[in-house]
Amino acid sequence: MLTSTDRIARQAHFLPLVAMLFLVACSSVPETERTDPRDPFEASNRKAFAFNMAVDTYLLEPAASGYRKTMPLAGRRAVDNHIDWIGLPATTFNSTLQGRFENAGLSAIHFTINSLTLGLIDLTEDPKAVKEQDFGQTLASFDVPEGNYLMVPLLGPNTSRSLTGRFVDTVTNPVSFLKAGDSIETMQSLRTPVAVVAQRANLFEPFNDVKYNSLDPYARTRSLYYQGRAGRINATIGKPTDNRATNDQFESFLESSK
Amino acid sequence: MMILTQTPAISAIVKRWLGKMLMVICLPMALAGLPAHADSQINAATEVISKMIGEVETYLATDPGDVARRTQNIARLFDTHFDLEGIARFSAGPYWRAATDQERITYIQTMRDVMVGTVVRNFDQLSGLNFTTIDSQAKGDKMVLVRGTFNDASGKRPPISVGWRVITPSAAPAKVLDIEIENISMLVTQKQENIAIIRKNGGQFSALIEAMKSRQQSH
Repeated sequence: MLTSTDRIARQAHFLPLVAMLFLVACSSVPETERTDPRDPFEASNRKAFAFNMAVDTYLLEPAASGYRKTMPLAGRRAVDNHIDWIGLPATTFNSTLQGRFENAGLSAIHFTINSLTLGLIDLTEDPKAVKEQDFGQTLASFDVPEGNYLMVPLLGPNTSRSLTGRFVDTVTNPVSFLKAGDSIETMQSLRTPVAVVAQRANLFEPFNDVKYNSLDPYARTRSLYYQGRAGRINATIGKPTDNRATNDQFESFLESSK
Repeated sequence: MMILTQTPAISAIVKRWLGKMLMVICLPMALAGLPAHADSQINAATEVISKMIGEVETYLATDPGDVARRTQNIARLFDTHFDLEGIARFSAGPYWRAATDQERITYIQTMRDVMVGTVVRNFDQLSGLNFTTIDSQAKGDKMVLVRGTFNDASGKRPPISVGWRVITPSAAPAKVLDIEIENISMLVTQKQENIAIIRKNGGQFSALIEAMKSRQQSH
């Protein structure tokens, strides 16, 4: 039986999506006025980005700064381990769909072993052996087009494909439905805000560099997102270190320089 | 031989045979030439990276903490080892062609100052990092990607995967064009940001220069 708090907490997952759909419905920028052809909703995306930056300034950055100052290194490592552990069922699920059965098996084993400590302590020999996989990567491996760029309030940068992937990964994660007493439920409800603060803390300097030193933080975030995502997608299709879109740009640059 | 080649059918057979022989002799020679060129490219690129890293290590070891001295050292590093004009042309994208000569000169100078300033501001973060080369791959006949890892000696920071895109022209010294951190190209990022600024300002290249100068002054 779900409590009203549970219901609100679960519905809260979809609030950013609803907000994003509202913003997307507002406007589409004509092709000639776009600063990137992949970003037809740039005007509304920039508004969502401004909102996210305000949330960061007033909530996340101070929280992440406090977290870095007060949380000992071992505690931070435990939180990071737990966040990684929570993502393992999604990796197992998606690796199976992609036919990467070794990765699926490894992630299932790592999840089972580390469940002894709720993922807070990594008991496996090589945590990096598992390659994290999400449903967005699975869709990419089936050649589903990535769609348009979407800046989602509270969730940050996405493409239509990766946002669909996030939604599927959220609803298919068995850990979200685990009912195992009050302490576990408290941990579940705290997980998302803690994970967001921990990730902001882990990327404190690079994030602030984009936020405060960029000429156009929105455009820089979009570029970083696309390149980072391309790296992960390439890893899915078997080219872990070769960012093809980037290489293409350099090849055509060298061709034009001849 | 003369008699044989006078008959058309036999002549054709002889020509085909000679063609095959030439292929057999020349192909290995051509193939042997390719790896030799690739090897010299890779050596030049790896050498420029190791030399540059060595210089940074020297600067760190002898650093007095003085900003002017740091700026001087880092500027020298950029002027010596980086292809500043290539970086400027790439990062301006299609707008480079439309820029005037004066705008190009100002842009190269401003971009250099911005890059030097960025490294100087973050200079302390370089301390304690050791670079290890993993491999070098030729990307065509004019570029090499030197990949490696920065490891923090204290173990507090996770290892960072880095790739250096080095231009290797046959008649000029090898120079760095781009730095890739965790598969993210700094130059591609800068280019996309620059293009966004120019487009937002109605295609005015001068708007980018002004934005860069204004950002630089705010630091």
